[in-house]
Amino acid sequence: MMPANKGKIFSQYEIITIMFYFTMVLLHPIILVITYLFDIASVVDVLKFSFWLMIGILSLTLVGGVLLLTQKDRLKRRVKPAYRNEYITLLFLSAFGLLGFAVLYDYLGGNRQYIANVLTAILALMVYVLIVLGRKYFKFDYMRQK
Amino acid sequence: MKKKPISDDRLNRIIKYLAIALLFLAVLFMAVQFSSVWSWIIDAIKAVIVPVGLAYLSALIMFPLIKYLEKKGIGPRGLSLAIVFLLSVGIIFALFYFVTPFVVSEITDFFNDEFPKILDYLTGDLRDDFIFGTDAYDRLFEYLEESDLINNWLNATLPNLLNQLGSFLFPLLTAIAILPILLIYYLLDYEMLSDRLRSIIPQKQEKAVAELGSRLNQTVGAYLRGQILLMLAIGTVATIVYKLIGLKYYFVFGVLVGITNIIPYFGTILAALPPTIYTFIIGGTPGPLLVLGVNVVLQFIEGNIFQPIIMAHQLQMHPLVIITSILFFGSLFGALGVIFASPIAASIRVIWQFFREQRQAANMTPITGGDASP
Repeated sequence: MMPANKGKIFSQYEIITIMFYFTMVLLHPIILVITYLFDIASVVDVLKFSFWLMIGILSLTLVGGVLLLTQKDRLKRRVKPAYRNEYITLLFLSAFGLLGFAVLYDYLGGNRQYIANVLTAILALMVYVLIVLGRKYFKFDYMRQK
Repeated sequence: MKKKPISDDRLNRIIKYLAIALLFLAVLFMAVQFSSVWSWIIDAIKAVIVPVGLAYLSALIMFPLIKYLEKKGIGPRGLSLAIVFLLSVGIIFALFYFVTPFVVSEITDFFNDEFPKILDYLTGDLRDDFIFGTDAYDRLFEYLEESDLINNWLNATLPNLLNQLGSFLFPLLTAIAILPILLIYYLLDYEMLSDRLRSIIPQKQEKAVAELGSRLNQTVGAYLRGQILLMLAIGTVATIVYKLIGLKYYFVFGVLVGITNIIPYFGTILAALPPTIYTFIIGGTPGPLLVLGVNVVLQFIEGNIFQPIIMAHQLQMHPLVIITSILFFGSLFGALGVIFASPIAASIRVIWQFFREQRQAANMTPITGGDASP
């Protein structure tokens, strides 16, 4: 049986909403990656920093969510046949977010020996989510690319 | 069987091509005779081409941003240009400001702590680990000492290398110094300059040349923008992964991965070698196999997932074509040739495709004016 929305083209509202919440979920690990790169752990308490960062991201999510709702009608009227650039942005965010989860695991005191296992598990999940999102919403089927 | 005689038309064409070839050879011969004058002129052209070329390439990256700002109502051109220019300068300055101290401290640490260990390994432990046995190592070492091979090679190569480096660096530094001024004027009057360039083309060819120029701009621009994005991403990811696996000097090795990523295929090997050799010599964790594995996985993900999506079909070329173009343009233009081999090859393909399309279109155009009725 064919899925009901296989041929449906989604408006920019749906795409921006997906991108916004995806970014908000990954923002914490992405910022942690940057702090990890520049050894911020030697200057500030990472757990405290992480806690305040989470509160900041939660408030940002609330504000952003409300803003998105106010722009809903305007964004609903904008439609594109495919959202290639948006998908590329999502790919980059996922790559850094993935590393961010590994950094978070390291900061939380996880055993470094198992970092590869953690990365592989999150990578598999992320690839699955990205492929499904790409096919269904962004109209970008990576697996069919030559 | 009687051989078909050559038609007048074909003979004319052969004579025409022969005459062109002869004329070309004659011009080449004359050019060789006056090589000293030519080298003087070529040097002058080079001095102009490097900064203008850099300005053109930078404009290909910055102009879409200016157009985007203008589309969003941020104008006039001066304002949008100022925003993009200040943003670019800020990013470059921030990169240098934050990255340089890390790189410098890691290089200093390397030469203070690890370099003596590597020298010790080369003169001591390597003898025991030598794959052909200790005798072969001793004989090789003796031969190297007696023949003074390394010293002779260094004496012959170093001055030449320094000379080449000077002749490459000086024009490049000059070009970088005047680049901001050139870029401002170029971006300020981008459309006007394009129109002026179009106005010198004969009217009959104007449309075709403009189309070709636009296609070339699109190809080279897509390559540059994609490549910079990829370099930044892969460099950052490599640095983080190196740090995660506990590799010392992760910053320098990560930056190296980002920089060498500009050279297709060979860049991967160039970036993987130093950390692998380093971990092999120094020992401990991470092992050389893990470092090599990380590089292979990174390059696999970059080459098979990110590059095809970002570069799209604009630069999809057979690996053999890319490798051949790297070797060819590398030997012609040195380091710059290696870096720009892929966009040059892609541009040649665009030109070739364009002329093929033009020829096909000309062949398909119906002959007008004649009576088509039977």
